[in-house]
Amino acid sequence: MTPEPAAAPRRRPWRRRATPYLFLTPFFALFAIFWVYPIAYSFVLSFLNTRQRPWTLDWDFNWGRLVQDEYFWNALGNTMLILVVQVPIMLAFATLLAVAFSSDLLRFKGFFRFAFFAPLVLGAVPYSAVFRLIFNEQYGVLNYGLTAIGLPSVSWLYESTPALVTIMIAMTWRWTGYNAVILLSGLQSIPATLYEAAKIDGATGVQRFFLITIPMLRPVLLFTFVLSTIGTLQLFTEPWLITTTGPGNATETLVTYLYQQGFRSFNFGYASAIAYSVAIIAAIFSLLQIRLVGGREVER
Amino acid sequence: MHRVALTLLALLTATAVSAQTLTAWVWDINKPALESTIESFQEMHPGVDVVVEDLGNQNVYDRGLAGCAAGGLDMPDIYLVENNEAEVFWSQFPDCFVDLTTLGADELRPAFPDFKWAELTVGDAIHAVPYDSGPTAIFYRRDLYEQAGVDPADIETWADFIDAGAQMNTAFDGNVKMGAIGKGADDEWFRMLANQAGCFYFDQAATEITITQPGCVQAMETMKNVWDASVLHPAGWSEQIQFLQNDAQASSFFGSWYSGTLIANMPEDQAGEWGVYLTPALEEGGVRASNLGGSALAIPASSDHPDLAYDFITNALADEENQLEILFEYGLTPSLLSLQGDPALEQGVEFFGGQAIWEDILGTLGDVPAVAGTQYFQEAREVMIVTVNDYLDGEYASAEAALEAAADQIAASTGLPIAD
Repeated sequence: MTPEPAAAPRRRPWRRRATPYLFLTPFFALFAIFWVYPIAYSFVLSFLNTRQRPWTLDWDFNWGRLVQDEYFWNALGNTMLILVVQVPIMLAFATLLAVAFSSDLLRFKGFFRFAFFAPLVLGAVPYSAVFRLIFNEQYGVLNYGLTAIGLPSVSWLYESTPALVTIMIAMTWRWTGYNAVILLSGLQSIPATLYEAAKIDGATGVQRFFLITIPMLRPVLLFTFVLSTIGTLQLFTEPWLITTTGPGNATETLVTYLYQQGFRSFNFGYASAIAYSVAIIAAIFSLLQIRLVGGREVER
Repeated sequence: MHRVALTLLALLTATAVSAQTLTAWVWDINKPALESTIESFQEMHPGVDVVVEDLGNQNVYDRGLAGCAAGGLDMPDIYLVENNEAEVFWSQFPDCFVDLTTLGADELRPAFPDFKWAELTVGDAIHAVPYDSGPTAIFYRRDLYEQAGVDPADIETWADFIDAGAQMNTAFDGNVKMGAIGKGADDEWFRMLANQAGCFYFDQAATEITITQPGCVQAMETMKNVWDASVLHPAGWSEQIQFLQNDAQASSFFGSWYSGTLIANMPEDQAGEWGVYLTPALEEGGVRASNLGGSALAIPASSDHPDLAYDFITNALADEENQLEILFEYGLTPSLLSLQGDPALEQGVEFFGGQAIWEDILGTLGDVPAVAGTQYFQEAREVMIVTVNDYLDGEYASAEAALEAAADQIAASTGLPIAD
């Protein structure tokens, strides 16, 4: 009845090693089906002429068009403009908000933190509908306010630049609180002793903000910056629902153009090429930001 | 255990009952219009429910394409498709919809005009049954016109329309505009005017891009003249309804189906204040007709009840009584040939001040130049929305320059050549 001593130890390590993989299998299966396969397939698609069935291999068809397509460059330009203008403004607001949130002078902190985070909880469709109403030229409350203080009313949704500004305002409203909450967590990890020491040395509030808060926040700022960059490159909701990418294509972004090509024109090959260009741009930007902002930390 | 079995049985019967439900995807006024035919359908098929869902125009198209791409997943039993867009489906997904000849649609051929079938058939196969058509007209507010001293009978050309608009601007200090245009949101004005001039994105056989032709140039120039005269609000679909509801817009230029939209959306006190006059001509004595939109009903191949769905469609679309009700109650212009010359059309419509608008509007059907949709309709449209907007903003030196740029863009995306 004595068990064979040799067999058990030989088998058990293999089984034991297999167990974690067994548990991971469902994830990897889903990952393969819903991530790896679409990513690989759309790469293949980007080299197919999908204009007419049967789809045929044509290396240059989509990528060649992409380079010359002024509508694509317009969408890229709009996206970049939003990135360069809106993201820094939003993060500046978010930083100030985070400082306010953690200030001892502020009462009802919980309420304010929630209030500024709340836009994110709201569904994108009702929020967009409300913004359409606010920015309505004739009946919108914004123009009502502008004319009330003697300013001219603006055709927010039917002129190019105001439409782009509308999108930026809407995005700022929606995402500032979210970023502020992330920055707040970074703020709270800065040791209070640093501020006390600076105070004793006679540093003013402004000096403390620029010489302690901002440098100490750099990793978190970088994190929000990278997230916002990727988010902006994927921008879809606001231009699609508030301005319907108009007037004309004044608020067309890379992803709305992708959608239009993919699901309106049913040109999957070209849509895939656009998708890959978005991914490439996102990767380059993330690398650049980490190099530029994150690198400095290492140098010190 | 017994209870569990009973519950299961109840659930099973519930699914069996709901299996006798037909769903339809439509937009706007088509929902109540088709719902009005359910009762007569149920006389033939008692116990069969029909659920008509209003998804909005663009969503029906988008979800339909996505559903077909997914092999017919999540598709309804009855699908409303715009004639213009129909060929995208037939060419990209030849198997997504039932060939209705297998259900007896051959018999329907003589009941509808040929131009309505053109976009719905591929070879011998019929993919959808003609529903409404969209002969255009100007819908106007009698009271506002009167206050401004404008007589619609004097408006024969677009130049007259501009003059009337100037009068309107003076009378109301610019607060009430003569009309509205979906500037940067749609290119419907271009399509209506181009159609009037016998021009379209593509030629009849859809082998060439034809927007650089003289008719389209004339359409663009006319549109810019109207826009530059400051007689139009820039307004998308919903804004336009807001303007109309708030007495800030005196007329609307659309396909005849817009009458249904007006009846459904205007406040009660506007009933009887509306009227209709024919589309102004591009030049003295020119054509006063064009077409915008028009749709058809198809049956997705994934439907479990194609026979029932087909019966519903023929009952709604090929039955004179139902079509007359849809016309008078919901303002959708029938394509059914047997209704032409029907004495019922001489009937006045209360909402339009008792005017017999259908006699007038349907009278123009014969003058409408025929156009083809083609599978590239959507991308040409996207390009033209941008081009029209930029042209109205003065970004092009001439209509020709704008249309040439648009033609290049459409050629790049479709691979079709530009006609000389």
